[in-house]
Amino acid sequence: MKTNKKFFADDIPRRKFLQMSLKGGIAMAATPALLTQLLSCKKATSVGAKLELDPQIYNRTIQKALEKGGEFADVYVENRISRNIIMEESKFKSAVFGINQGAGVRVISGDKTGFAYTDDITEETLINAAEVASYVARGTDKVPPVDVKEQNRESYITVNLPLEEIADEKRLEVMQRANQAALDYDPKIKMAFISYYDEVRGRTIANSEGLQLSDELPLMFFIVQTLGVGNNTRHMGRERLSKHSGFEMFDVVTPEEVARTCARESIVMLEATDCPAGKMDVVIQNGWGGVLVHEAVGHPLEGDSIAKKIGVFTGKLGQKVASDVFTMVDDGSLPNFRGTTNFDDEGTQMKKNVLINKGVLEKYMTDILSAKQLNMERTGNGRRESFRHLPIPRMTNTYIDKGTDKPEDILASSKSGIYVQSLSGGSVNSTTGMFNFTCREAYLIENGKKTTPVKGATLIGNCLDIISNIDAVGEDLAFGPGICGKGQMAEVSAGQPTVRIRGINVGGSRARG
Amino acid sequence: MDYIALTKKLVKGCLDKGADQAEAYLENGRNLQIEVRNGEIETVQEAASHGVGFRVFVRGRMAFASCNDFSEGALKNAMNKAIGFAANTTVDENNVLPDDKGLADVSGLYDPQIAQVSMDQKIELAKQVEKLAMKDSRITKSAGSGYNEGEAEVYLANSNGLSKSYRETVCSFGVYVVAEKGDQKSSGGENCSRRYFQELKTPQEVAEKAARDAYEMLDTRMVKTQKADVIFNPDVARSVLGGILAGVNGERVLQGASFLADMMDQKIASDLVTIIDDGTRSKGLASKPFDGEGLPTQKRTIIDKGVLKGFMYNTIVAKRAGVQSTGNASRGGFRSLPGIGAHNFFMEVGPVDPEDIIKATKKGLYLRGVTGYGIIPVNGNFSGGASGFWIENGKIAFPVKGLTIAGSAFEMLNAIDMVGNDLDLNRSFTAPTFRIKSMQIGGE
Repeated sequence: MKTNKKFFADDIPRRKFLQMSLKGGIAMAATPALLTQLLSCKKATSVGAKLELDPQIYNRTIQKALEKGGEFADVYVENRISRNIIMEESKFKSAVFGINQGAGVRVISGDKTGFAYTDDITEETLINAAEVASYVARGTDKVPPVDVKEQNRESYITVNLPLEEIADEKRLEVMQRANQAALDYDPKIKMAFISYYDEVRGRTIANSEGLQLSDELPLMFFIVQTLGVGNNTRHMGRERLSKHSGFEMFDVVTPEEVARTCARESIVMLEATDCPAGKMDVVIQNGWGGVLVHEAVGHPLEGDSIAKKIGVFTGKLGQKVASDVFTMVDDGSLPNFRGTTNFDDEGTQMKKNVLINKGVLEKYMTDILSAKQLNMERTGNGRRESFRHLPIPRMTNTYIDKGTDKPEDILASSKSGIYVQSLSGGSVNSTTGMFNFTCREAYLIENGKKTTPVKGATLIGNCLDIISNIDAVGEDLAFGPGICGKGQMAEVSAGQPTVRIRGINVGGSRARG
Repeated sequence: MDYIALTKKLVKGCLDKGADQAEAYLENGRNLQIEVRNGEIETVQEAASHGVGFRVFVRGRMAFASCNDFSEGALKNAMNKAIGFAANTTVDENNVLPDDKGLADVSGLYDPQIAQVSMDQKIELAKQVEKLAMKDSRITKSAGSGYNEGEAEVYLANSNGLSKSYRETVCSFGVYVVAEKGDQKSSGGENCSRRYFQELKTPQEVAEKAARDAYEMLDTRMVKTQKADVIFNPDVARSVLGGILAGVNGERVLQGASFLADMMDQKIASDLVTIIDDGTRSKGLASKPFDGEGLPTQKRTIIDKGVLKGFMYNTIVAKRAGVQSTGNASRGGFRSLPGIGAHNFFMEVGPVDPEDIIKATKKGLYLRGVTGYGIIPVNGNFSGGASGFWIENGKIAFPVKGLTIAGSAFEMLNAIDMVGNDLDLNRSFTAPTFRIKSMQIGGE
């Protein structure tokens, strides 16, 4: 057990270094005595499976949690079953089965939060956890809890081929197909790494406002990496596919398509030369390039840093913060998307939240605590990695809304600079607004054309400058899946159309000619 | 609960269900997390946790299952799942478990006093470090301070008769603050981790560093794109060491996916560079008596005066490579398979006072922050965002941010021409201050 020193893609400093825990993880155990799973898998309806505890247990737990004071308490019960199969060098190397269950009890009193969690889910362990969590509210005013009553939420997830009905042979088959397609693409592809991951996560949320809510969601995450080897160069490409859906995900995008997209990148980048360094114009292709907006603008708009008045967008609500062509949205209702879970992990309905509208800052993303502190609406962004973590404002599916420019015109009208076709990831300091991201596939732009591929470079800037310097937004919105780290992980997607940004600092290894 | 008996029983259970070899890795522990802001407690989080991971080998195929419910039914279910899942993997003659019953002699991992220190004292530590960090008038806001601690026990048993355990504690505290000047905002933070509560630094020391990190980065300027010397302060060592660590991963080497794959016994860095991996150091934050599959840990030289001397292995990869495991099986907790990872990984101390490294630099960048992925292990490419101080004529001139630095690993490592004497072995992944001659810097 160590101080958590993971190298997060997101540099949200405070929570990163302050956190320490037994390796956080997402393995879950189904305890037959406590959990009844209803497997419903009809077309066009959501999968619903209820974790059944007697509601009186939730009421008693919440009462215990608020015994010493406090205005809000909730109980979060989670059960997660996951499978991860890894293929490398054309062999199925490992198969990992995870069973993980547990419950967390939280109390909020003013700005204070008490929290405790347990692996065992019984009335006794829940009451114990409630007692531990209750101390933080000692001596404060109490808001009497309301008895829980089951409610519903709008669902944006449909499942056609439920994971429970998929034989492992089918999982191996899609991996095998991806592997073959990658190796067949070009003799310079020496190896493929395929990771197949799926899980079913059941949640039950009960709180002192009388909410009781349950669901069960499947998640799939398919990753292909291909190693291209040239003369004295190597490039690892990557392509990922992820949805909250059943196995039908592979009918929409085939494993071969994923593998070929990845292999193409590996081969092309074997010809990459050193990237020039310095300030230049950057055109970023549609898709996972949206990590730009996730880092540069998304994190700084999360309610916790705003509530603490340390975020770079503090106090700017209603002001023009970006160019007229810039509209930015976080939308947890996009159907079957990786960042969509219907309701957040506090029970708030997820929805479309327009954060910046034609350059004007309209909204922050909140969880229950920051919504209260800021006296703003709950936007459905209170998410948590597991029952072992507190919910905090997190993104869902974040994107730059489409504009009216044709992507080919954006490139053609760029005299010089860098064309970025894909990114690895990035990070941001939400206080200073300095953000950065790392390119995977990029090209020089010369007189409006993509020319030589260039090695992965860092792009760095200040978020307030970047969004003011976006001067072209295409009509070709697309998304990519990702993992967001903020002291704890969250599944997200990020998207954008092709955009152009004037004047970003590019970290190449050669001086500009 | 007698976890030693339980892990042995679980191993036997797997064998009874059809596994040829089996391993059970169990963790049990508790943690406490306190967050304070503006002098008030903001969050208190406490929990106990446990879990076990089963690795099974069935006729040469390997699979794994983990479970955090210790009821009989749940454990049986997990064992069954692991054995059933093994049908999915490919037969590999290298799928074996270790049989070394030894233990490395590692002391100082467990502080029996930590649970006796009162909660009030721990809260006070978090409050004090924040209060002290806020003292400077340039510091305008606190992003929060905190105290964390954890205690854990690890138990491992396998079908070769291994049955080992150890326990450990770790505690840390830190603070994060914001400095403002007009429209400018700058942030800085510092933390301290130790095995023993009494050995934590004073809140004064931690507070001063956090505050300095914040206010020293006000009034930053940009510089032009140019080549210049770059001094890496210990806080940014990871950006270089991370890629080296990934590059010496024995499995990547076998797969040809490492920039160091063909470089054993070759000179890959300057004479001044020696890098060590040590799992045995007393009180080391990453020390342990045995690795993630039960082999005693070692102290090994990875790079010796610039020459690559050691790759890292676990049992399966070592067998494939025809060598002995180096005791580097690493788990991210009970839920994960043992991969390959480092223990206390560091660049050996050098002879030069860090102040003299600055004095010897006519023009250059003193790095305090680096962003990005560091050295890419597949090809050795490096590119990152940079902030710190600009040096002119051997003196710190002004702070800079929003720059980029880039290069290739071999160029960078061979250009390390000064190494400092300020190695802090209280950190588990670290280096002294060192200087790289002439890197490409991106600016205006």
